[in-house]
Amino acid sequence: MSQTARLSARDLAVSFPGMQVLKGLTLEIPDTKMTVIIGPNACGKSTLLRSLARLQTIGAGTVVLDGKAIHKENSRSVARRLAILPQMPTAPEGLLVRDLVTRGRTPHQSALRQWSKKDAAAVSQALELTGMTDNAHRPLETLSGGQRQRAWLAMALAQQTDILLLDEPTTYLDLPHQIELLNLVQRLNRDTGRTVAMVLHDINLAARFADHIVALKDGQVHLQGPPDQVITESTMQGVFGLACTVISDPVHANPHVIPA
Amino acid sequence: MILRLSFVSLQISRRALIVSAVLSLLMLSLLMLSVSMGYYPLSLTRIIAAIGDHASEVEQMIVMDHRLPRILSAVGAGAAFGLAGAMFQTMLRNPLASPDVIGFNAGAAFGALAAIVMTGANILPGALIGGLLTAAAVTALAWHNGLHPYRLILVGIGASLTLVAGADLLMSRLDSMTASEMAKWLIGTLNSRDWGDVRLIWGGLALMLPLCLWLQFPLSRLAMDDDISTSLGLALSPLRLTITTTGVALVALAVSVAGPLPFVAFVSGPIARRIVGGGKPALLASAMIGALVTLLADTLARSVPIVQLPAGVFTALIGAPVLMWLLLVQFRKGTL
Repeated sequence: MSQTARLSARDLAVSFPGMQVLKGLTLEIPDTKMTVIIGPNACGKSTLLRSLARLQTIGAGTVVLDGKAIHKENSRSVARRLAILPQMPTAPEGLLVRDLVTRGRTPHQSALRQWSKKDAAAVSQALELTGMTDNAHRPLETLSGGQRQRAWLAMALAQQTDILLLDEPTTYLDLPHQIELLNLVQRLNRDTGRTVAMVLHDINLAARFADHIVALKDGQVHLQGPPDQVITESTMQGVFGLACTVISDPVHANPHVIPA
Repeated sequence: MILRLSFVSLQISRRALIVSAVLSLLMLSLLMLSVSMGYYPLSLTRIIAAIGDHASEVEQMIVMDHRLPRILSAVGAGAAFGLAGAMFQTMLRNPLASPDVIGFNAGAAFGALAAIVMTGANILPGALIGGLLTAAAVTALAWHNGLHPYRLILVGIGASLTLVAGADLLMSRLDSMTASEMAKWLIGTLNSRDWGDVRLIWGGLALMLPLCLWLQFPLSRLAMDDDISTSLGLALSPLRLTITTTGVALVALAVSVAGPLPFVAFVSGPIARRIVGGGKPALLASAMIGALVTLLADTLARSVPIVQLPAGVFTALIGAPVLMWLLLVQFRKGTL
């Protein structure tokens, strides 16, 4: 892995009252790749992603974005380069999809300069990419779960950042919608070269969509690498305590976990 | 809709414009009605004559010395309350978190009263200090791994009750004439306001309004959650501090002029947000609703003969049922 990844964590430690979640974790998020973070419940996946996006206050160590400590940087400047879609975001009642997506432009705007041609282009492009153009004038709460998630993704896309972090973007979606969303993210990554890092619960989806997998256990990186090196019977046993058989997916050729 | 002026471009919703126009018309009608109403009713032509210095001395005195300053004070104080209410409710993402519910009104009133007892004057500085100290104390007491609205509201209600009791205690140090006047003021009243009050509240509003309009942009982002706001590049702590200070300053101004009028800040935001729609903070509409509610309450108070009822009685009559309704709705939705 290159030494020049734009986003990285060094000796990262985070604790909550009564427990240490991340224990001196060091990690680089490979540029322009799709990275997926996996691990058992409470291993610190979300905390790691939130720390990488400066949403989480950290105890020790540093998160570095473009050579500077992200927690000390100007938040607005960070927001032009890195966007995160947290788990279960909330919006005020009545907010229209178009207005939500427009808010993604915030780091490029100011109270006096609230709209430019670039903003208009970015918003319609984000709506287009996520297939939400026809729903742009609907209030967010009238959408289905899958549509709502795409609307939030559109907001993050309108931010036009090189790095996009997604915290369990497929939660509460049924399988077809999960696949649809991940296909969309993959297409964005391939077409625009955006760096994507996301937390996923489903190991098989991780194996199918990731270029790089980070397996966390007890607040530390247990193993990382391409799917076929990480998704193995021994890693599954070591990380999740899961007895399983790993086969090669007959359609996509990525590793596929079949629990025993 | 986009408004452009050289390097400035503002997003303005058509609906907000229409709402403002309708509210302005309502305001104007109520204003005229209120000036004409009273022990000595005046027609519109007499009012205009009085303002234009062409009326009898009595009419002139009634309009220029009594009704107009009182009405303009009511409108200004109501607008300040409405503005402050919408700012706090949006920032804390809860309609119950308005300055009159969470003790900031009571704090400002206590501070003003303390200033009067100790120095005989300095109402505004007293209200400002009282309001800021209360805001700081309530925030600090409610803080536990962040600011949960529910905890803030409960602590605020507690602070409010304590400060009201404290104000009663302070009043025992006043002579009975002043004390009975202050008792009315503590309910919230616009009796015998003069042009000095008008200048104070409107001057204050003119100073604060640009800041409030500037804050509308980050406030509409803050209305989502903390994570999203940070992700969009807002610096949460400085922003919250600015909003709180601005909101408390507005409350202190309004309290200095009208006393701690209950429920004006509280009802204005939800009504304004409902009519403006789209999940917007609706600051301007809240200010206008606040002004309308206050003027309506004071006009009602004036229309009761003989006894000089404080306007606060009527804002409470309007606001308390709304509070109960909101509590019930939140309780049923499980968001309280």
